[in-house]
Amino acid sequence: MSDPLLPAHLQWFATAVLVAMLAWVVQLIRTQRLGLRDSLLWLLSTGAALAVTVFPSVLRWIASRLSILVPANALFALAFVYVLVNLLAATIAISGHSARIRRLTQECTLLRAELAALRDRLDTRGERSR
Amino acid sequence: MRVLLIIPAFNEAANLPEVLRGIAEHAPGCDVCVVDDASTDGTSSVALASGVEVLRGCVNLGIGGAVQTGYLWARHHGYDVAVQIDGDGQHDPRYLAAVIAPVLRGDADLVIGSRFAAPADASGFRSTALRRAGIRYLARFLRLRCGARVTDPTSGFRAAGRRAIELFATTYPSDYPEPESIAVAVRSGLRVSEVPVVMRPRQQGRSSIGALSTLYYLVKVSLALLLLPRRMSPPLSRTGGGAAS
Repeated sequence: MSDPLLPAHLQWFATAVLVAMLAWVVQLIRTQRLGLRDSLLWLLSTGAALAVTVFPSVLRWIASRLSILVPANALFALAFVYVLVNLLAATIAISGHSARIRRLTQECTLLRAELAALRDRLDTRGERSR
Repeated sequence: MRVLLIIPAFNEAANLPEVLRGIAEHAPGCDVCVVDDASTDGTSSVALASGVEVLRGCVNLGIGGAVQTGYLWARHHGYDVAVQIDGDGQHDPRYLAAVIAPVLRGDADLVIGSRFAAPADASGFRSTALRRAGIRYLARFLRLRCGARVTDPTSGFRAAGRRAIELFATTYPSDYPEPESIAVAVRSGLRVSEVPVVMRPRQQGRSSIGALSTLYYLVKVSLALLLLPRRMSPPLSRTGGGAAS
């Protein structure tokens, strides 16, 4: 059923984009370029977006709750939220990685110092035995 | 045949001494390697005091990363068999011989110690009813997905032969890796079998998998099993030659 304020072709277009997105993420996971844990939010949010697009009554409900006159605008607003949420999640993941990288760098530094100390001990022992 | 026992441990300072004592008693010929996943309770010092090899990580990687570290060590030092044993005391070292046997005979590349394999012994610790239902679901899913017949896919008590060591050192799942690693093994052409074991409840401390986490676990593992890579090449041929690149 085509709503004049949410044209059918917009619905179809949005659905196609979201399905393509889902297929792409699944492909990335299967070829192991995207880890499952990091992709969970993408899968969840894309699935939710797909549900909203395929069942426009939900969209109309959201639009009326937010006092948006045109449901198609609600679709774009939600698309924006979709991008924000995934972006924020990615930023959080980056912060976690930064902390781990710092820890690893420190560990390397300390290990290097230990190695140097061991090398010195071996060297001095070598000199004495000569 | 050189056997390595991989004991992943995160804050198991309270349980480790007993675990290591049991291993020393029932499996004295095996080398032990405790993988300390950046614990904060002195797990490493406890392990070192017992004189076993300790691999101390500086960043917490979770069970997947920790166990894989053990497999990397096993591969690097040319072990023939690597056995995973939990550091919380749930796995009884008396069953080590049973779990290792099929690998030593050359009948299997990966052997799972199952709480539910026949002849079933219900006297042991078999987790809560909810978890058992989850495990049955996973066992069925796993069989549908890759044909693996495993009654206890979540068991971390398992023995790996050289081919499995090579595979897991290269690829090992990160979150809730037990069921997924079985699927990866089967699809890489490895032979997976089971032996019955009896487990004990965790001695001290809390499991890292709580009540609600069980549902998340099932959803996540199901997704992971659905989205496995399309084709996987065997890590080593049956005769032990290197993988073709």
